[in-house]
Amino acid sequence: MAGEDYILKVKDLEKTYPNGVKALKGVSFDVKRGEFLVIIGLSGSGKSTLLRCLNRLHDPTAGEVLFNEKDIAHVKGQEVKEVRQRMAMIFQHFNLIERHSVIKNVLTGALSRTSTLKSLMGMFAKTETKKAKEYLDLVGIGDKAYTRADQLSGGQQQRVAIARALTQAPEVLLADEPVASLDPATCHTVMDYLRKVNRELGLTIICNLHFLSLVKEYADRVIALKDGKLVYEGDPKEIDEAWFERIYGEGAKEVHVN
Amino acid sequence: MGTHLIKRVTFDGINFGFLFLVFLLGIFTPNEEELLNLSKNSLVALGCVVLGVVFSLIINKMGIKTLGELLFAPPHKKTVTSTPVIWYRTFWGIQTAGTVLLMSVLGYFVTEVNVREVLDIENIKNVLRLIEQLATPNWEVLPDVVWKAIQSVFIAFMATLIAVPIAFLLSFVSAKNIMGTTPVGFVIYMMARTLFNIMRSIEPIMWAIIFAIWVRFGPFAGMLALLVHSIASLSKQYSEIVECVDEGPIEGIESTGAGFLQTIWFAVVPQIVLPYISFTIYRWDINVRMATIIGFVGGGGVGELLLLYQRQSLWNEVGVVILVIAIIVWLMDNFSAYVREAIK
Repeated sequence: MAGEDYILKVKDLEKTYPNGVKALKGVSFDVKRGEFLVIIGLSGSGKSTLLRCLNRLHDPTAGEVLFNEKDIAHVKGQEVKEVRQRMAMIFQHFNLIERHSVIKNVLTGALSRTSTLKSLMGMFAKTETKKAKEYLDLVGIGDKAYTRADQLSGGQQQRVAIARALTQAPEVLLADEPVASLDPATCHTVMDYLRKVNRELGLTIICNLHFLSLVKEYADRVIALKDGKLVYEGDPKEIDEAWFERIYGEGAKEVHVN
Repeated sequence: MGTHLIKRVTFDGINFGFLFLVFLLGIFTPNEEELLNLSKNSLVALGCVVLGVVFSLIINKMGIKTLGELLFAPPHKKTVTSTPVIWYRTFWGIQTAGTVLLMSVLGYFVTEVNVREVLDIENIKNVLRLIEQLATPNWEVLPDVVWKAIQSVFIAFMATLIAVPIAFLLSFVSAKNIMGTTPVGFVIYMMARTLFNIMRSIEPIMWAIIFAIWVRFGPFAGMLALLVHSIASLSKQYSEIVECVDEGPIEGIESTGAGFLQTIWFAVVPQIVLPYISFTIYRWDINVRMATIIGFVGGGGVGELLLLYQRQSLWNEVGVVILVIAIIVWLMDNFSAYVREAIK
């Protein structure tokens, strides 16, 4: 695989929580620049922990995360914030500030570039506001800019979260179960926007998903976690019945989302 | 297992110790001099508690459930219920009833209950005369009283106003979810909590005594007294709101690469503003009540007049003060309830 451009190289990543739970037991994989990588696995298999160890919302216990060839697994202070800015994240429950307007939520993506004093007074640069509006248009809710975030539907809120993530000007977008609390119809809208930013903006996407049908539709490549270990890596189309049972346990049945 | 045993034994020990002590009191019937011998009596009381602890251990060992066991047994033991037994057939039932009964009898003597005094014709005549005077207020003092009552409202207002920004900052220091993540933070959190608890357990009227000496008698002393109490109370209430915030937005803002202050401002503050306002208005309401009586110890406000008139038995004037205080407290109560309802 010489000549491949890897944005992330994860080596023997381990995470043990203070209560003794071993969420990750030595996970290694590479992420190609610009790909749409999907992580599958049961609840509690370590998917969410893995994402949070990449953008350093959590501190890995051991191992390496090479981000553009630089190990960021154990950096501290200001460097952690920089890692978070360059690896944006969206969440299952959107994690917006519900009482604030959509535009104000999107602008929080620019916090890392705005001085504390200015941001506390709500003074964001004009260019930031313009960018924020562009990204809102990109995810199709430009007309909702001055609506309060909690007035939007789940799918719209997740699109606001995508716009906020894009405002960070990241290189990687981490998505932690982005459609798990949405209804099936809205699922596809949100996934389509993720694919759009992946293809049009060239953003590398690492996405945790539950539904295998979505995986087959959107993923370039898939890795599977089970009990904190990597159990599969490869083409989503090659996941057959046998693999499915190995990942999700015996007797598991696939649920289709249309 | 350990903590449950300690809690049960402590509770039962004090409970049984009390019963033993009353029992001893009944047998030896000590005279007044003996009753005031504090050091000796403390020893006896301690002995009774130790005896109570031993008693609790023995009784529970025998499989009889004491009240302490009933209250503090861990959940997995509580769910094991045999056929229901009426309370007076159980040991803990008798224990509770016995304790309450003994407390009542003791209380009757300690508080010097005297029904005859209440029903005495002469006494009733006296109080009727008082009520009559209170009910015919001397309106000439009304301007004085109203002015002092306004002073009370402002004492309360200033105390609340200055307490708000201080308590706002302190509330983050004393919130477990903000400070509890690092060992140093946890120590600061514990120290802040302890300090607030001590500050709150000293009533404003005590603070007023201190400040009346410090800055001399008057409304400023009263304001400072209420301020100290308000800072402690608001910090505690605010920090409890901070501890209840949704962690989602915090994670959301952190994930953008925002700093600590930015995260607090954007993820925490929007969630706490309304509850903060609600608690603040309620605190003002409470402070007005306190400001009306803080004048008793030199803290200014309408309480000064109440003390002045009461000392001279000017009951017609006292009547005016009572009426004005009642109206103001009633108004503040309604105002605060009205606003708090609206911003819920």
